[in-house]
Amino acid sequence: MAKLTKEDAVINTIVYIVLFIVFVAMVYPFYYCLVISFNEGIDASTGGIFLWPRKFTFVNYKMVLSNEQLIPAFFVSVARTIAGTILSLLFTGLFAYGLSYKKLMFKKTYIGIMIFSMYFSGGLVPFFILLKHIKLLNTFWVYIIPGLLSPFNAIIMMNFFREIPDSIEESVKIDGANDLVIFFKIIFPISAPVFATIALFVGVGHWNNWFDTAFFTTNRRLRTLSFLLKEIINRADLTSIMAPGMSDALRTGTYATQGYTAETIRMATMIMVVLPIVGIYPFLQRYFIKGIMIGSLKG
Amino acid sequence: MVGKAVEKAGLGRQLNPGADAISNTTCFDAIHLYLCYGDWRGGIVANIIVNKGRHKINGKMLVRFRLQLYRQVFVLMGILFLFIFSYIPMVGIIIAFKNYKLASGLLGFFTSEWVGFRYFTEFFTDLNFTTIVRNTFMISILKLIFTFPMPIIFAITINEVRNQKAKRIVQTVSYLPHFISWVVVSGILFSFLNQQNGLVNQILVLTGVVDAPVSFLADPKYFWPMVVISDIWKEMGWWAIIFLAAITSIDLQMYEAAVVDGASRTQRIWYITLPSIKSTIMIVMILSLGNLLGGGLGGSNFDQCYLLGNPVNNDVSEILQTYVLTNGLAQGRYSFATAIGLLQSVMSLILIYTSNYVANKLSGVGLF
Repeated sequence: MAKLTKEDAVINTIVYIVLFIVFVAMVYPFYYCLVISFNEGIDASTGGIFLWPRKFTFVNYKMVLSNEQLIPAFFVSVARTIAGTILSLLFTGLFAYGLSYKKLMFKKTYIGIMIFSMYFSGGLVPFFILLKHIKLLNTFWVYIIPGLLSPFNAIIMMNFFREIPDSIEESVKIDGANDLVIFFKIIFPISAPVFATIALFVGVGHWNNWFDTAFFTTNRRLRTLSFLLKEIINRADLTSIMAPGMSDALRTGTYATQGYTAETIRMATMIMVVLPIVGIYPFLQRYFIKGIMIGSLKG
Repeated sequence: MVGKAVEKAGLGRQLNPGADAISNTTCFDAIHLYLCYGDWRGGIVANIIVNKGRHKINGKMLVRFRLQLYRQVFVLMGILFLFIFSYIPMVGIIIAFKNYKLASGLLGFFTSEWVGFRYFTEFFTDLNFTTIVRNTFMISILKLIFTFPMPIIFAITINEVRNQKAKRIVQTVSYLPHFISWVVVSGILFSFLNQQNGLVNQILVLTGVVDAPVSFLADPKYFWPMVVISDIWKEMGWWAIIFLAAITSIDLQMYEAAVVDGASRTQRIWYITLPSIKSTIMIVMILSLGNLLGGGLGGSNFDQCYLLGNPVNNDVSEILQTYVLTNGLAQGRYSFATAIGLLQSVMSLILIYTSNYVANKLSGVGLF
């Protein structure tokens, strides 16, 4: 590199200032929530807490973790995320595997049907009516089945499968294996990176989804964590969400003695929702970095 | 058994390095695609990619069909799925012109009585009509103006960072918010902006910028800025990935030649980096114009307006998508809601075709 000119110095300064601002802006909001969630409620409401809890306590998490609505919701969320992701990958993967076959009959028609469904959609209301009449409303399956096939993910997978040499599959076929066996024993392991990437996207989508709970279910037992969090955030009083004793305390103001407020409970719940995503984030992000590095190598 | 066959074909050794090469490049393509075409508009590009592999159908069809029976079954399951979950609702659009009752079932799509454009007129004459249309367009256009350039600026900035470690750390945290739901973001906003003890108000009062805490959440005039800024915060890092990928694929020799010619760093950014990523910018621009009414790149209008909206700021936060839910679906006015939804789809379709046409004429870059 050439010597540092005055211009370089100016640009470097600006660049590092921007970098610092972005870093703080992205990390601090989460950190702040974490700090508040570990702070005593009444104390937190007086403000002035920026970097460290002033009155450290676990009581917010104790309340959240002992809540008789949040725990079942957590399990519903986990169940839909795991089942939804696996089934969607399988269904979309098999569809894409079938379509990736060069000599597939009616291939053009199939692809046309798929692409058209990406251009146009019936919109929310006809979709709702459909769910209603195929009896999916108010069942756990309303979370899983409509997301089984994503044409978009199918196209990504197809492009991947197409690069796998035919000779590999054909040699196995001579051995008498059928396409289902080939998919699981050859295609799936070879395509692990693309399946992993898509799994993470689909998984995060499931975990974060509150919309289908809000509009496609009314059964309290089907409520997910994201939906409950939305309810907790959007309602000033937590009466409908929290355990009777707890909401009474929040309403009458006697919570002062118990060490939590609606605000600190909210923060603790938010941390619980974000935690799994931050947990899988390192895996997710490895693929991006890899992708970007490859991109730079090409250039 | 399978492993043996691979060995027999002499492919055992090639399998792994080959697979690695595939996985690396295509993994990148996958992410690239995700970024570029994060929703139904992917079809436009997908079309081009997919059609490469066409094949003629000829002779002995039954035999051929039986030979690929498994593959056909896999695909037909998917086609059946699309028929049920995409095509039946598409047919359902006709209830926008009918008086549909939920009890009449799916066949009611056909059997209910025609009412022509009654529900459209009902919406056009609705008291809130102008407000809703204004909000939808204003929020979308504000986002296009302020949110769209941010990832480009951020990508160029981060490309100028020489310290690889700092670069990687900041980039990594910059796309974390993309994976966090709007529910959580709205929670963060509420706790940062509330009037009593919100963080922003505390800082503003402490530093003496304002005398009394500002009611960011209740005052309608802060709603649009809040929506735009939170959208920038959430999606900037994510969309920067695609521009960064475009920047890293620029031929380094161009920069070296420019240095020899005595070009300054600013000149190199202005005359090499920016023109080189022009086509990427154009494509992303067309895509966000096509989804203008949904909220541009992130498609975030609905989540933001639904989660951050309240009776106080309803005048600036009610948009087409929230109206479909609150005044349509939630009240059982199915035909009315379908009509509004159809209206929005048609407008979006016009937008994407127009923007593509204009981009094609102006710069020769287009999706179709």
